[in-house]
Amino acid sequence: MSRIVAQARKELTQIVRDWRTLALALALPVVLLMLLSAGLSLTVNELPLVVQDFDRSTASNGFIDAFRASITLHVVSWPVDKTAEQALASNAARAVLIIPSHFGRDMARGLNAPVQLMVDASDANTAKLVSGDASQITSAYNQQTAGGMQAGPVQAAIRLWFNPGLSSKKFYGPGIFVLGLSMFPPLLAALAMAKEGEQKTILQVYVSSIPAHEFLLGKIIAFMAVALAECLVMSLLLFTYFGLSFAGDPTPVVIATILYAFCVAAFGTMIGAIIPNQAAALQAVAVGGFLLVFLLSGLIFPVENIPAGLRWISYIVWGRYYIEIVRDALLQGGGWPAVWFQVLIIGVIGAAFYGLAWHGMRKMQVKA
Amino acid sequence: MRKLLQYLFNYRLRALIRKEFNQIRHDRRLAFSLIVPPILQLTLFGFALSAAVSDVRLGVVDDNRSPESRELIATFTESESFRLAGYYSSVDQLGDAISQGNVDAGMVIPYDYARDLARERPTTVQFLLNATNANTATISRAYAESMIQNYDNGLRGQRIPARIQRVAGSQLGLRGQVQLQPAFLYNPGLVDSWFIVTGVLGLLLILNSSLVASAAMVREREAGTIEQLLMSPASTSEIIIAKIAPLFLLLFLMMLVAFGVVRFAFGVPFQGSVLVLLCGGALCILSGISIGTVIATFSKSAGQAQLTSFFVNPPLAALSGALNPIEAMPKWLQPLAVLNPIHHFATIVRGSTLKGSGFIDLWPNFLGLLIFTLVFVSLSIWRFRKQLS
Repeated sequence: MSRIVAQARKELTQIVRDWRTLALALALPVVLLMLLSAGLSLTVNELPLVVQDFDRSTASNGFIDAFRASITLHVVSWPVDKTAEQALASNAARAVLIIPSHFGRDMARGLNAPVQLMVDASDANTAKLVSGDASQITSAYNQQTAGGMQAGPVQAAIRLWFNPGLSSKKFYGPGIFVLGLSMFPPLLAALAMAKEGEQKTILQVYVSSIPAHEFLLGKIIAFMAVALAECLVMSLLLFTYFGLSFAGDPTPVVIATILYAFCVAAFGTMIGAIIPNQAAALQAVAVGGFLLVFLLSGLIFPVENIPAGLRWISYIVWGRYYIEIVRDALLQGGGWPAVWFQVLIIGVIGAAFYGLAWHGMRKMQVKA
Repeated sequence: MRKLLQYLFNYRLRALIRKEFNQIRHDRRLAFSLIVPPILQLTLFGFALSAAVSDVRLGVVDDNRSPESRELIATFTESESFRLAGYYSSVDQLGDAISQGNVDAGMVIPYDYARDLARERPTTVQFLLNATNANTATISRAYAESMIQNYDNGLRGQRIPARIQRVAGSQLGLRGQVQLQPAFLYNPGLVDSWFIVTGVLGLLLILNSSLVASAAMVREREAGTIEQLLMSPASTSEIIIAKIAPLFLLLFLMMLVAFGVVRFAFGVPFQGSVLVLLCGGALCILSGISIGTVIATFSKSAGQAQLTSFFVNPPLAALSGALNPIEAMPKWLQPLAVLNPIHHFATIVRGSTLKGSGFIDLWPNFLGLLIFTLVFVSLSIWRFRKQLS
């Protein structure tokens, strides 16, 4: 036991000595949390919209005013002598609304007045948002001008649960929290372990009295401490800047966090033990810790959208389960019945990493 | 002109460039890491990152159990947007299912639904949405609303046309309806991956060129051979140019391969001129190399350089608008995109492939890239010189 503590203390001392690694461990996750939550969000505000009004009547002005009131769209001016396509091609606008002449006359006669909306669909998701928003504005305008007469027989009362303000900060905050935890602690762990192999200090470990299990546990506990400290710093931010709080029973997420810290620390140590080269180990962690968790865990886009040929990989991505637990704890509040399985899986994957790290260390001994 | 070229490519420079090429040739891992991971990342990002909303799992509480209510449910489940995940007997059960993540949305049809329809009284159907993912929720809300609207129009058309006409006749003041006709330009099929891959392209170019450049610059210092180079009659600019030129060629090749993947694996149409695209790409690579060179002047070893790039690259990537629209960022961060080479290159790629816009539309982005590159190249030369003296 005392050997494990000594080993852990040695690792922590090494981390504190290098400002780069220390900043990487504690400051960068916070910066990343702030930046990525802004950089990943897909819900747009104030998309520039150009209106070409060929009618210039009170009716068309009223219709444009309905668009001016929108939060998502922002009506910008556009010179009359330039075509609508030019506005889209030069990125001056994301959409163009074209109101034909006779719009007001047709409306007054009780005819249907067609209006064209040209959307820049090079970004398909935003295009869908824009056209959905525009059609909502149009139908609200129609209902208003018809004086409620045209209200349909079936009305939908839509309730948004868990995130009624549709703030994407609340969705991405927990995800990026998980990304930070899956990236930096294993990175440091892998670098530390690979350094032992590269500088051959591992030989000193082999000739000392410390058994492999205690050596590994000491290393893992040190990086677990790093991960938990990081987790503390980031959750402070989640609770303040992101305005999140526990939605239900916090025990699953607490237990899962400790298991996950073990899991990522064991992952980094395993990579370092298998690849005793700092640069290569760094790349391996970047692929495992960043790319897999970033892409295949449902962090940005739902896992269901991944093509079936790739989706099976997501079942072994540890971050995916932890993201589900954290989101559940902070947004949905399903508690143990919703996430007991995910907690279990994280434990299993962590144990598997530990086993592989131990195996890799024995192989390293043969090589060294 | 000829004299200038001769001056630029004198025998010293040529010899240095040949030396760099030899070093790269001996480093198999570099060539490998320049071709394989970028292609892999491009395909992974393109296929895995899709914001498309389809097959939203819908749980239903049908208190009415009538042909009318089943018709409404069928309208939803027959579409590609929603998929029936199960019936629940009470709203509480449905609520539990939503909070446990078994269904994404729920619909509650009241017990007097069919009766109200028959009596032509407005009736309300409750629709619950798990809004944790704001984007999915916004899009599925629009889907649900448009479906109910279509259903309404269908009802009006088949069941109460006579009544509507009578009302219209009696009320002369009734106004017409606005019919919005959306047209999706540049990507009428609304293929999600086109936006992602054209953005990831710039991300990859900057990330890889900065990594490779910083590694190449720092290697001499680590091995201690930098003194030998300095003792040679070559000037610092010559040393730097000789280092950059082979990397630039390699990265340019990588870019061509990546363009091939974008064109043939993802079917992105190349509407505009290829020349514009290649010029943008060349500038983008140069700016990536200059970022790497600046990072290298701040680090003593390859490991340090890689760690430092962790501080530079994620913010650059996150605030570039490569994976999401710039308008989705907070207002105060949006102007920063002007300083971001990834943003400019993504705009150039999207413009020249999807939109077919030429230099006339894209010149601000070219200018941005050019200024960025010039500033960073001169910064790196200045730092390099300062370190040497």
